Amino acid sequence: MSERDRFARYLKRHPHPHRPFYARPAMSRRAFFRLGGAGVTASFLIPPAWTGEVVPWARVETKNTARQVIFILLAGAISQIDTFDFKLVEGVTPREFEPVRTGGVVWPAGLMPKLGERLNRIAIVRSMRAWALQHSGMQTWVQIGRNPSAALGEIAPNIGSIVAAEKEPERLPSQVFPAFLALNAQNAVGPGYLPSSFAPFRVEPTAGGLGYASHPLADGASRFEFRYRLLGELDGALRANSPLGRPAEEFEAYYETAQRLMYNPAVEQAFSFSAEESARFGNSAFGNACLVAAKVLRANQGTRYIQIVFDGWDHHQDIYSTSNNGRLPRMAKVLDDALSALLDELKATGLFEETLLVMTGEFGRTVGPLSPQAGRDHFLQHFVVFAGGGVKGGKIIGATDPTGSITIEPGWSRDRDARIEDVEATIYSALGINWTNVRYDDPFGRGFEYVPRSKDDIYGPIHELWA
Amino acid sequence: MTAWAGSLRFTVRVLLVALCLPLGNPWHAVAADHAECTYFGPNRERFLQTGLRAIARPASQWSAATEQVSRLRPKPSAGLRIAAALPDWEKLDTIDRHLFQAMAEAGVRPAAKTDDFEFIRRVTLDLTGRVPTPERLLAFVHDNSPDKRRRLVEELLASEAWVDKWTMFFGDLLKNNARNAQVSRYPEGRNAFYRWIRASLAAAKPYDRMVTELIATTGTNSFEQGEVNWLVGGIVMGSPRTGQDIFDQQAANLAATFLGLAHMDCLLCHDGRRRLNGLSLWGESATRWQAWELASFFSRTNLRAVNAGVPNRVYYAVEDNVRFRTDYPLNTETGNRPPRQPFGSVANVAPKYPFSGRGPRPGENYRVALARELTADIQFARAIVNYIWREFFTIGLVEPPDQFDPARLDPDRPPPEPWHLQPSHPRLLNELAAEFATGGFNLKDLMRKIVNSEAYQLSSRYEGEWNPEWARLYARKLVRRLWAEEIHDAIAQTSGLIPEYRFSDLDARNWAMQFPEPAGFPAARGATTAFLDSFFRGNRDDQERRGDGSVLQALMLMNHPFVVTRCRITGSAQSGSLAARVFSYPDPQLVDALFLTILSRYPTAEERRVAEAALKTGDRRARVEDNQWALYNKVDFIFNH
Repeated sequence: MSERDRFARYLKRHPHPHRPFYARPAMSRRAFFRLGGAGVTASFLIPPAWTGEVVPWARVETKNTARQVIFILLAGAISQIDTFDFKLVEGVTPREFEPVRTGGVVWPAGLMPKLGERLNRIAIVRSMRAWALQHSGMQTWVQIGRNPSAALGEIAPNIGSIVAAEKEPERLPSQVFPAFLALNAQNAVGPGYLPSSFAPFRVEPTAGGLGYASHPLADGASRFEFRYRLLGELDGALRANSPLGRPAEEFEAYYETAQRLMYNPAVEQAFSFSAEESARFGNSAFGNACLVAAKVLRANQGTRYIQIVFDGWDHHQDIYSTSNNGRLPRMAKVLDDALSALLDELKATGLFEETLLVMTGEFGRTVGPLSPQAGRDHFLQHFVVFAGGGVKGGKIIGATDPTGSITIEPGWSRDRDARIEDVEATIYSALGINWTNVRYDDPFGRGFEYVPRSKDDIYGPIHELWA
Repeated sequence: MTAWAGSLRFTVRVLLVALCLPLGNPWHAVAADHAECTYFGPNRERFLQTGLRAIARPASQWSAATEQVSRLRPKPSAGLRIAAALPDWEKLDTIDRHLFQAMAEAGVRPAAKTDDFEFIRRVTLDLTGRVPTPERLLAFVHDNSPDKRRRLVEELLASEAWVDKWTMFFGDLLKNNARNAQVSRYPEGRNAFYRWIRASLAAAKPYDRMVTELIATTGTNSFEQGEVNWLVGGIVMGSPRTGQDIFDQQAANLAATFLGLAHMDCLLCHDGRRRLNGLSLWGESATRWQAWELASFFSRTNLRAVNAGVPNRVYYAVEDNVRFRTDYPLNTETGNRPPRQPFGSVANVAPKYPFSGRGPRPGENYRVALARELTADIQFARAIVNYIWREFFTIGLVEPPDQFDPARLDPDRPPPEPWHLQPSHPRLLNELAAEFATGGFNLKDLMRKIVNSEAYQLSSRYEGEWNPEWARLYARKLVRRLWAEEIHDAIAQTSGLIPEYRFSDLDARNWAMQFPEPAGFPAARGATTAFLDSFFRGNRDDQERRGDGSVLQALMLMNHPFVVTRCRITGSAQSGSLAARVFSYPDPQLVDALFLTILSRYPTAEERRVAEAALKTGDRRARVEDNQWALYNKVDFIFNH
């Protein structure tokens, strides 16, 4: 049976992509064989073969070409047929978008000229399809890589938190930045049930650097040092490791991280920027976030996953208006300036090959003519952009029909629409993380799969990006 | 309690039969397929966010936080500890009877009772959002009368600070803000709504009367009649001219806020069948038609925008049967929700309250009828009882509190496998709701009952091995991080340096708990606003108030000028900052005074040793300030335990 048919049959059997927790079998295959076999071989007496709490379902070959990830969420859902899956709609698409044939695609050179010159550095997957059309649900879905209302969705960590947890052993004692950084992402999904040391450190980049990272007194550094030591002594005997282990270290972890960020030249250097640097990235909030992301990675202080949210793409009204900063043309220019500068910066600092850049919206927008409000509404077909991290530039994976409304050519091995779970698996593969891993430290004790339904091999990475 | 469930099923069956027979057309054909729906408009789903994004941390995490916090706190002095024996629950009041019986059945020993220091700090924070003054604290601790806790509770319930805190709570619940993603009340409307909430609470207005006023108002100026502003919150952009999107939003708001039923928002687009499966047993068989019947109660009401004389500023006037003169029409394909098309000859949906099956009486105003049916519904009482319970016990009897499943609340009619009853203590919830309703919907009575119970007064400290699954049994107090406003006000009050915030359109005020809304106060941008925002106080729109911690909060408490400038010696020994007043005390009394004021307890021997040693090192002025700073950063300051 082809992959496409197998997936379609799976979807038919499970109309919600994942069943709620009480409908799942209470015993996994692994547990069954372990318990079933125990009586025969007395293997209860033998400790389990694995030492950690993380067990893969299958041996896989990860690509392992990237050290770190920048994940850009175009929140609000960017219109795909006006940007990365460009389709000219006669009489509707503004003339100023100037579609030209370049880099093997039709590209709106008038809308995003700089990216048009850098198409050989990025790869676009056009056979992406979203699961639903609701902003909050899908934004959460994209960040945790599974249905938020399904089993374990409530406590599922952000993909960045999983990456932070997986890369924790590689962290050097001298590295002080949080492993997971969230820029302009106040509502970024948190670490779920994972300890708070893997929580996103949320920052709104400003020129002056990280706020409140110094003590506001004359002779602040030494006053702070005395105070922090006094605090430790007052609480000292009581701040010993809790027998509950990781969940209980939360409060101390925040203070410890905070203290290491203070009076640290690496922090000041990475988080502050000059007017001229900001101008290079287009002088926008998104541009500043891209700039700080590049500087933080350059500082090599332990940050391995940076999530940037660029919000405001929900263009239900007047999508093509040029007199409003919040509509597509002006926002696309911000995207164009910042993303090009980021690609250039990563290249110039030698980080491009080891940094995987992933960019997507939570779903797409309607195709063809505009709505009565001169906008585009929610739509399932969309795209995801990959760059760096060993991914081959200039690739287009998959193709949509001439209107852009459905996939006609999936373009990858599973021969079906790509889903956000497949993007999640791709990220893990790029970082050398086995995407079929299951963590057995979740509070429900049912095992938390990095990518849902790993044991049935429903989702997997898009390795064609490296081909 | 069971009557409505039965009448619901009956109604559904009647509907199915009635609709299928004459039309020969499965009525679910109206509902558009969710996945292909192109009518999802902006922010229409914002009221579902609380459910889908899971504000409720699992009980295991609250339990872990409690365990950690209680270990970081010193042990109380032995003399004040009371042994925990399981009381004879037959003789107890409602709450204790149910909770202790459940603990006994589960074989779980409850924590010890709070000592007086723990109790006064906890109940003062929970009821009034403030910490006790050291004078009141010591008077309470040294009082020997047996009913001192009850008298303290009365004192707190009667205080102005109680009104402030619960005005903030109801402002959150009713989502009072000047501007949300869809509509602006403007500061005038928000302030009027704030004043109405405050006046209602100060006058001890019964909760059902408050809600009736909000739903059935005939006010003509939202800038002057605060109660109009709840209806204003239901206005959405992009509605069809015949008003259906706004009727729908009013119904969705009503269900989520007053019934704890956020799923009604889903049903306003499509049936529950296939889409609410696994989420809600009631929702699985509920229909869009039923949701329309609820929305129909709003279908004669128009909120007319009136120019306020200032450019770009409008207030709203409520009018009935002026612009909209028919029941909920099925006549449109536009708007933010899937098409609303007639069934054969049925082109309007008559109002019917889904859980009683009743509509308005002949000639009765629709919203008056709706308020009548709503407040008579036991679910109305359950929802508010659960919201309030959650403020005191940290976890609701139903979690999340806006995801009630009406088909899983009756312990005498448990749901079929694999569903289970939803509340952790179904009989307790139903009894409390019934007592609340028959007792006149008196909010203070409910709070009084809660805080006077033995179960509320259990310590957060637990002797022996604790199992996180016991969190739902309430066998110990589950700690909560203080609200942003509580932290601000505690620091201001205890330091003696109380800020004054001035506004152009409001009286000057000192306490963050008195702000009419969290977002943008005290200033649109500014250091103190950033301090308060770091504690996730929410914006009453798409960001709810959260108790999460963060690295930024640690940075704020350590380095923000709001905190650091209050740890200074300024003013005189009589009327200056805390540090100034205690500066001249001998060291032991100085340390006592700092601890009693800021942490509402005496220091332990070890803490005293460290603090006094620090005072003798170097510049005494600086060391006094340092000690004060350290106490604001101790874990037992930032948590209510």
